[in-house]
Amino acid sequence: MVSADVARRERFEAVVGETYDPLQRYLRRRASPPDAEDALAEILLTMWRRLDEMPRDNPLPWCYGVGRLTLANQRRGAGRRAKLMNRLAMERPMSEPEPASDQELEAALADLSEDDQELLRLWAWEQLEPREIAVALSVTPNAVSLRLGRARKRLESELRRKNHPRAGQEEAYGRKEPQ
Amino acid sequence: MSDELRNRLQSIDPMAPGVPTESVTSESSRRLLEETMAIEVGAQASDAARTGRGRWYLAVAAALALVFGGFAVFSGGGKPTGQPLELALGSSNAMASCIQFSVEILKDMPVAFEATAVDVSDGKVTLDVDHWFSGGDAESVTLNATVGSPALIGSVDFVEGEQYLITATNGTVNACGFSGPATPELRSAFEEAFPAS
Repeated sequence: MVSADVARRERFEAVVGETYDPLQRYLRRRASPPDAEDALAEILLTMWRRLDEMPRDNPLPWCYGVGRLTLANQRRGAGRRAKLMNRLAMERPMSEPEPASDQELEAALADLSEDDQELLRLWAWEQLEPREIAVALSVTPNAVSLRLGRARKRLESELRRKNHPRAGQEEAYGRKEPQ
Repeated sequence: MSDELRNRLQSIDPMAPGVPTESVTSESSRRLLEETMAIEVGAQASDAARTGRGRWYLAVAAALALVFGGFAVFSGGGKPTGQPLELALGSSNAMASCIQFSVEILKDMPVAFEATAVDVSDGKVTLDVDHWFSGGDAESVTLNATVGSPALIGSVDFVEGEQYLITATNGTVNACGFSGPATPELRSAFEEAFPAS
């Protein structure tokens, strides 16, 4: 029993060693620092409790999936029970690490649906491949590939529209025309 | 894959690799990990199973058949939308007899949430979701009784301001002990069944 406990601790420590940094980044990209801190503690607890279910090979996408549920429940809880507190927290200046330099891209990204944004974030920021995104979102890899392809096209289209409103439109209409 | 777009997106990553994070070996990180590993795994679960089983087997013997437009949110494999759900309470013949409550069966429920009844009127219950255990992220769920079935609402005894734990399978809310008032016992069972949530 004792050796089983030791082995469990060792495995948990090893997984945490591998995922602690990317999980913090994942959370800070999507939540305020205090919320990210709370969520991290919850995610670790879930990882500890469900260690046996965690994939041994590449556990990070699975951990992101836990993070997704944790953040969703956190936002809901904040909305339901502490609307005022939440508003005050939002009003507090957030310690954003880096101001975005590419404002055009940031604006184009913000114009996409939340689903598209999240797919693109997981792809570009978390650097996940479609099969890993599928684990994080609990959907099939095929669905991810299709949706990611569409999300990228929509982002590119938004960027064209922001650059050249008319040209973007013409291009959209004339996309299938032979060169 | 267009690497150019991916690279450009990385340039607006607020937590790009150069931005520091808390080290796993820092004092606060170590404390957090030790606190986490101090939690005994399994003890709470078996307690919940023991207290939950018998009671819920006897609790409610009705089933609420649900047909709701938003069910694709759960069954389609897509990302949840967060849109309010409208559920219809149908006839009670969806489940002729009750399956004995067990956490093992609860684990397989594709839809499970805790919610507060905010409005209970004739044939209609509006619930604000407090916590999704599985299968969705709607903020609000409305149960609409079809003609002739308002008694079903009574069988679960919805009261405004009270919290409920609800599961559904294949569009059917299970009232046979798998849904009901959010007692500590039932909540423990839900937490055991859905530890990731």
